[in-house]
Amino acid sequence: MSNPVVHITNLNLWYRQKAVLRDLNWIIYPSDNWLVCGESGSGKTSLAKTIAGLIKANGNIEINFNPEAALPPVIHYVANWYQFKDLEGQSNFYYQQRYNKQSAEVTTTVRAELEDYGKKQKLSFNDALQTVKQLGFSDLLDSTLIQLSSGEHKKLQLVKAVWLAPQMLILDQPYNGLDKQSRENLNILLNAVSAKGTQLILISNDVEIPSCMDRFAEIKNGKLIEISAGERISNPTNDFTPKSIPVFLSESPTPTFSGSVIKMTNVNISYGDKRVLTNINWIVEPGEKWLLQGSNGSGKSTLLSLVCGDHPQAYSNDFSLFGYKRGTGESIWDIKRRIGLISPELHWYFDPSATVWQSVASGFYDSSGLFCEPGSTRSGQVNELLEYFGLREHSKVLMNELPLGKQRLALLARTLIKNPELLILDEPCQGLDQQQTQHFNRLVDGLCKNGTTLIYVGHFESQLPDCIEKKILLENGAVKSAEILLERA
Amino acid sequence: MSNYFNTLPLREKLNQLGVCDFMDSSEFVDGVNALKGKKLVIVGCGAQGLNQGLNLRDSGLDVSYTLRKEAIEGKRDSWKNATENSFTVGTYEELIPTADVVINLTPDKQHTAVVNAIMPLMKQGATLLYSHGFNIVEEGMQIRKDLSVIMVAPKCPGSEVRAEYVRGFGVPTLIAVHPENDPEGKGLLQAKAYCVGTGGHKAGVLKSSFVAEVKSDLMGEQTILCGLLQTGSILSFDKMVEKGIDAGYASKLVQYGVEVITEALKQGGITAMMDRLSNVAKIKAFEISEELKDIMRPLFQKHQDDIMSGEFSRIMMVDWANGDKNLLAWRAETGETAFEKTPAGNVKIGDQEYFDNYTLMVAFVRAGVELAFETMVQAGIKPESAYYESLHETPLIANTIARKKLFEMNRVISDTAEYGCYLFDQACKPLLADFMKKVDTDLVGKNFNEGKDGAVDNRALIAVNEAIRSHEVEVIGATLRKAMTAMKAIKTA
Repeated sequence: MSNPVVHITNLNLWYRQKAVLRDLNWIIYPSDNWLVCGESGSGKTSLAKTIAGLIKANGNIEINFNPEAALPPVIHYVANWYQFKDLEGQSNFYYQQRYNKQSAEVTTTVRAELEDYGKKQKLSFNDALQTVKQLGFSDLLDSTLIQLSSGEHKKLQLVKAVWLAPQMLILDQPYNGLDKQSRENLNILLNAVSAKGTQLILISNDVEIPSCMDRFAEIKNGKLIEISAGERISNPTNDFTPKSIPVFLSESPTPTFSGSVIKMTNVNISYGDKRVLTNINWIVEPGEKWLLQGSNGSGKSTLLSLVCGDHPQAYSNDFSLFGYKRGTGESIWDIKRRIGLISPELHWYFDPSATVWQSVASGFYDSSGLFCEPGSTRSGQVNELLEYFGLREHSKVLMNELPLGKQRLALLARTLIKNPELLILDEPCQGLDQQQTQHFNRLVDGLCKNGTTLIYVGHFESQLPDCIEKKILLENGAVKSAEILLERA
Repeated sequence: MSNYFNTLPLREKLNQLGVCDFMDSSEFVDGVNALKGKKLVIVGCGAQGLNQGLNLRDSGLDVSYTLRKEAIEGKRDSWKNATENSFTVGTYEELIPTADVVINLTPDKQHTAVVNAIMPLMKQGATLLYSHGFNIVEEGMQIRKDLSVIMVAPKCPGSEVRAEYVRGFGVPTLIAVHPENDPEGKGLLQAKAYCVGTGGHKAGVLKSSFVAEVKSDLMGEQTILCGLLQTGSILSFDKMVEKGIDAGYASKLVQYGVEVITEALKQGGITAMMDRLSNVAKIKAFEISEELKDIMRPLFQKHQDDIMSGEFSRIMMVDWANGDKNLLAWRAETGETAFEKTPAGNVKIGDQEYFDNYTLMVAFVRAGVELAFETMVQAGIKPESAYYESLHETPLIANTIARKKLFEMNRVISDTAEYGCYLFDQACKPLLADFMKKVDTDLVGKNFNEGKDGAVDNRALIAVNEAIRSHEVEVIGATLRKAMTAMKAIKTA
């Protein structure tokens, strides 16, 4: 056997007085493509970042690139989080900023961003176009970065990685936010780069993976254990397990309005000449459970931003929420207090310096971070829900000190804390493992028995709550179909 | 028109200067009701105009924009800002007569022309809202007696006003009612409702007067906020280059240092900023800032005196009439300084290094904040106002320097602030010439603690800490900061 590319011996990593990796050993030989799984907080991201040289740990990591290979001798890490900067190099963006139009562009276009990247890495722009096309990204080249949805930002990260084609590529949860077609396209792309000599390390708990993956491992108790392909859908032991729903959430939400929850009549949204939503007609009645589907870029986030009071163009459309026609004296806080929302963007923009406890409690006030003192009843409910989600021990930890999966659980608790009349769950289980996803969906089924209205967005057909009864499908900003899946009992 | 303040008897001058009241949140329980169903028409759609309008509309209020005919016909940026966010836009003639509240968010320099154009169109008993009192106080604009005149001034850039609102919070805001124009006594109610509409009531509202706002705002921006930051930055950079420090490093230290240093100021006042230094460095910074205060005190007093007498605005308005001759010349001069022309080097400077290697700036900031605060309070301005116009705003201005140096700072601030900043800078540099001769790289460019054993005398340290902590700006600051919770931390560049 040839020399290992990466040889890790006795790697130890501590985070806040807690051992994450303990005497971890791992040998990666040139021809192997590894898939690494493990429950949230097991140290997957820490290990990946350590190999990529982004964080330091104790122990020995030996890296041997192939000097004869044509591919660049680098380890490129695609983070599970995306980041972008404005024209002045800062990233102080705020939630819903992308819907506010300002004459002065604050960010560069996708094309300029890619050209700049190509120049730095000495790559030919034409080579990128192929990947751009394969990921269905061509129409977005002239969009600015701030206009992109989370799934589109993920694609931009992946385009850069595949274009660079380094000797080793580490992808941390690359499927987050991608629609079914894009996931399949990504797998085809990854098989292709692997065939050309890029070695892959894929961190994912997903089932559909590229066929070129041939070695499998799980991180458990700080160590890496090789497993067989079949073993990896094992039962992780996490703290978020089915229990009986807290009493305060098993009561029906008090109805505060009459009429339809949502009533859109020929709703149109456009930016300059670009149409984003076209003639949307959609009525959601109280208690209905909807699935909202559509590929990346079909207009789902924009549609939901209207429902959540986050889109300025709501005011020029014929559109009612909770019985109010928009723009007739209601405030967005009147709307938000009836909604429990989770979405990739809400997570991305959420106050990273709030503690887990504050984050959950902020759900009572629809704020990002906590600015009020909740009374004793509400505080008790926060504690109860933290217990339910297995987050009690983290209640005083800052959000940005937790792994993404745990942050997500905290934000899911925030979504539910006020027992809202309308639940909007836009890819709620991003970053969770399959077991956690199942538990969460069971919880949603339980809550929805009380008459809660639901709008659910999920790119994984196999991972949906059972209570869904209607489906609306968007394509290129228009309603392609709206159908009944399940007759109401 | 003549200077309004100068027409007042001393009793009334003192009376209006001394208005300042940090409002309790219980004052806002009525929400936006005082403006509900009223027509709000905003004049101008730049950063403040657009973002305040977005917030007000999202709070359930009826907002539209009025622009000059040329801006509408030419589809200028202001027109695009408003229409692309689904606001109604119309000319003065179309919208002003329908307005219950007209919100003037144009630059100071245009106020006289704008107000003269809109006032005849305003309906009986309407309200005119300003976000700065210069036009009323310094230019002495007379407003029709049936109209109410109020001020609402969010103390942050427009984008922050929006960002904080959508996260469920707000930015600190100052409000006032012009005593000459409150015929129905509704001014305060409307100003409070406007604060609720922009979210400001959640972050703290200061009730001030037109006079107090103008006299303290001018003083703060000319001295500590823009003037001293400019002087300190240029002198520090030149000193480092003179002493052989790498110019790229010097440029980066100065550009970003002031932001990192004043971030500590924002979180915990002068005390927190000084506490970031080692004990030896703190004592040194204290000593030189005392010296700086003695040197600069007469200059701070001169600026305050010229502001109070109206002399400052008089000479600035002469320059306005002169096509901004001085302003443009001074702006060009600033663009030519070595600091401005040297790009920040590609070196990593850690958070703590900005303090250890830039002790001089810590001393400048302490001296400037305390002097501006003391001078304002001595002139009859209330400590709360003085705090906002000195310490509170320093980190916001420092942020503009971090973005693109002094040119950016001067571009973002008002022309009035920019004019005053140059006046200060020109007078301050010669005043500090002798002081700067004594400064070496231990204070700027290299780690002050290097080669020192770090030992200090207990009593000396206790005395220094006591002096820092017991200063009035610290006492009032602790109270006000407690009321304005949840401040976001900046990232180190």
